[in-house]
Amino acid sequence: MKRINKIFDKKWASTVLWILLLVAAWEIGAFVVSITKRSPENILPHLYQIIAAAFSTNKVSSGMTATMVVLTSARATILRALLGFALGTAAGFLLALLMKLSGICEKMLFPYLMLIQLIPVLGLAPIILSITGDINKSRIIIAAILSFYPVATNTLAGFKSVDKDKYDLMYTYAAKKHTIYTKVLIPSAIPYFFTGTKIAAPMAITASILVDTLQGDGGLGCMLSQSLKHAMSIYVFWLIVFFSAFVGIFSSYLMNWIEALVSPEKRGMRKAKKMKGGN
Amino acid sequence: MKKRTLKLMSMSLAAVMTFAMMAGCGSSSGEAKSDTPAGTQSAADTSAVMSNEEIIKKAAGEGKVSNWGIGNEYEILALLAKYGLPTEYLSEDFTMDAFDDDSSTLASAMTYNELGLVKNDYDGGYGYGDTVGYIDMNDEGVAMLEDNIFCKKSFAAENPETVKAFLYASLKGWEYAVANPEEAAQIVYEAGSSVSQDHQSYMASEVAKLVSTDMNGNTVTEVGKIDDEAMQQTLDIAKQYVTLDDSAAQDAFSKLTLDDIRDTSFYEAAAGSSDGKFNVEKSEVSIQLKWLPQAQFMGYYVADAKGYYDEVGLKVNIVSGGGDISETTAVNNGTVDFGVTWPTNMAVADAGGMDLVEVAQIYQRSGMTLVYKYDNFKAE
Amino acid sequence: MAQKRKRPKSLYRRMQENAKVQAAATIILPVLLGIIILVLWQTQVLHHWFKTDTFTLPLLGRIKTIFMENIGKIWENVVATMIVALVGLAIGSLLGYGVAILAALFPRAGRGGLSVIGAFASIPVVALAPVMNNWTKDVSNDASTRSMVAKILVVMLIAAANMSLNAYRGLTELKPYAKDLMATYAAKKRTTLLKLQLPNSVPYIFVALKVSVPASIMTAIVSEYFAEYIIGVGRQIRENIVLAQYPTAWAYIATACLLGIVSYVVLMIVQSILLRRYH
Repeated sequence: MKRINKIFDKKWASTVLWILLLVAAWEIGAFVVSITKRSPENILPHLYQIIAAAFSTNKVSSGMTATMVVLTSARATILRALLGFALGTAAGFLLALLMKLSGICEKMLFPYLMLIQLIPVLGLAPIILSITGDINKSRIIIAAILSFYPVATNTLAGFKSVDKDKYDLMYTYAAKKHTIYTKVLIPSAIPYFFTGTKIAAPMAITASILVDTLQGDGGLGCMLSQSLKHAMSIYVFWLIVFFSAFVGIFSSYLMNWIEALVSPEKRGMRKAKKMKGGN
Repeated sequence: MKKRTLKLMSMSLAAVMTFAMMAGCGSSSGEAKSDTPAGTQSAADTSAVMSNEEIIKKAAGEGKVSNWGIGNEYEILALLAKYGLPTEYLSEDFTMDAFDDDSSTLASAMTYNELGLVKNDYDGGYGYGDTVGYIDMNDEGVAMLEDNIFCKKSFAAENPETVKAFLYASLKGWEYAVANPEEAAQIVYEAGSSVSQDHQSYMASEVAKLVSTDMNGNTVTEVGKIDDEAMQQTLDIAKQYVTLDDSAAQDAFSKLTLDDIRDTSFYEAAAGSSDGKFNVEKSEVSIQLKWLPQAQFMGYYVADAKGYYDEVGLKVNIVSGGGDISETTAVNNGTVDFGVTWPTNMAVADAGGMDLVEVAQIYQRSGMTLVYKYDNFKAE
Repeated sequence: MAQKRKRPKSLYRRMQENAKVQAAATIILPVLLGIIILVLWQTQVLHHWFKTDTFTLPLLGRIKTIFMENIGKIWENVVATMIVALVGLAIGSLLGYGVAILAALFPRAGRGGLSVIGAFASIPVVALAPVMNNWTKDVSNDASTRSMVAKILVVMLIAAANMSLNAYRGLTELKPYAKDLMATYAAKKRTTLLKLQLPNSVPYIFVALKVSVPASIMTAIVSEYFAEYIIGVGRQIRENIVLAQYPTAWAYIATACLLGIVSYVVLMIVQSILLRRYH
């Protein structure tokens, strides 16, 4: 019993357990569906069928296998998501800084931040298209707009979370405003900033997939709707669902990793952990 | 220790049950359709099936007539009205899954697309074969015209020779495609299609029929000609069933005449030209399709692949559509020069304030059908 | 004496310290900005900046006319969207909070489960919505009911993931001295949970809701695109944009914004009432 518990002390072990449970649930569902439905692969195919489709060499469309179709269309989507995410994150951080600098700005802009989130992409699309005149630029901008809100709100929360003691300390040092920002505010907002990016990264991917469908020139979104319409093997649809889920999750982990890389305190913590482990 | 393990187990059990329930949602009442239609009923016995009118009335009575909406529904509304039925329909989600599981028993299907998926058993198809029948809008007299070529009125006025040259080459491409659908399908497939090769070939052969046959079943000799009679029927049905929330636009729509939405002079000039020599004002043009690349638009791909566009001095960029930035919007704001859409959609856009005109009508008959399973409509 | 020599406070400073002025500013400033934007819009300055025309971005009067003409129909769609968003949000948030509590009680198994649930948040809505449609086919014979269930499920998953991650932080990121204090009391796990962890998580709930509320409305709107039954604000925006009926589409966009404003204001009021009790 103790040994089992020890295994579950590690996070990955319980993650694996949950994944296994999910897989089991999926397979039970797939089994039920397969005996009750005429076309089970449209509703819930077995996981091995999806995996088989991923490695199948059958040409699905334009002389490409299912995996090739997914990867080719993913390239365009992910590139746009990356650009949009970078733009959105930068804008979100700057906006949070601006709102911290000026309370008036914060009060004025904060409710609108949320509003912009709420204007459905489709409403924005024709206008952004007429501003940029280019469908791909519009897509990147929309992905940016959709990903900047979590970054902005979380970073702002980070700025506000700074304890009053720290301010007081800086005042006793007679620190300049500039110094306070670079030495106290921004470093302490960094973890919050990364919380924001962890939400924003998958959002940028969602947005990017969504804006693929503005025009049908490739991209995961187009292939998703196309395969959903049975224009090609339905497994392309399932592959895209899994692939986009994977990319979304991966993007979140990537942010974790980057955070660990850049934030000194986390590095320190890891070191401490390692030393403890070594002992 | 034991307690904790027990808790852990019960937690995981609860999780499994939740997910099983969610998955089970899709399967709890599956016993309704025990027999596989494709397998058991090998030979279709059409004599035992109800008449079209009975089928429509039965399906409408059960609320199981479906269409995609978004401007595709007018023929279905006209058909329902024809039989004195309430003009209501179920939303179809661009798959035939609802038809497959009988949540819709009379489902909209384009001859060249969904109908093929329902019948055929290639990858992505549902494999119903001969166990399904369909109601053709052309036979019912409620057909509306579909894929055309249009551009902005101001563009046509400023670049008349370009429009003529583009039509000349495009129509040449369509003629070739209609004569050689297999080859055309291959060309589209290689140009980066979004559908499987089997489905592409099927689509090409069906599209060829729509281009070369008119609503009355007569053979069309002049590909792309705007048939005023069919156009008027389209507009009349549209005026009756298009409802716009914007009363100003609705008003403008009810006042539209054929002259507001089509200009035959470009087609006549293109068809009358023997050599296709035009002094094009703009040598690089683009056309946005109504959907993703597929044989539905094979004429343009053929014209491109066979060098017809080069011959008239045009470089044509084929932009795929099918997105939420519709072809009417893209043409109207100048992102592209030409577009492929249905006359009704274009007329509605004009009523909303756009400035578009049809210059050629590629499909001469409606590709819209309502597909049904014989099993669901057996005569008493 | 030192007090007297201090410079008199500037008007700005005094206003900044006056709670009433601040409260008023919270409302007045955004409204002011709103009015400026609307004036720029109506005078077509906005159109000039964005290089667009009154067709793509119709004038306010026109939007208002259509809004008034169709108020009944718009209301129907609003109700459909809000039911999906709110029910999904409520069930999802409760579920997410429950999961967070379980994860806080059983950290060994819980953390893994949490990372799996966090992964759900990263799955693009566009991939979830069609899958849910397929899975809910047998829920009801009535297309409007089953497509509503499908939409609620999508919103629910997004809201649950968001809530569980934030609530878990609230339940576990305790002030060290508070934890120590509980330990010195030899408090039971249950007491710690009730007296320390739950209250500590309340602000985090609002952090989650600030993201979840707009996210649920947006998710509801996006999942309407894929729904079987044609209803909802989002669906109307799409239908009208595809049919090039921009003024009508804008009437619905305005409605979506209004929904956002109202839900934001309600959230803020609830937050200020609840959090006042804590501080």
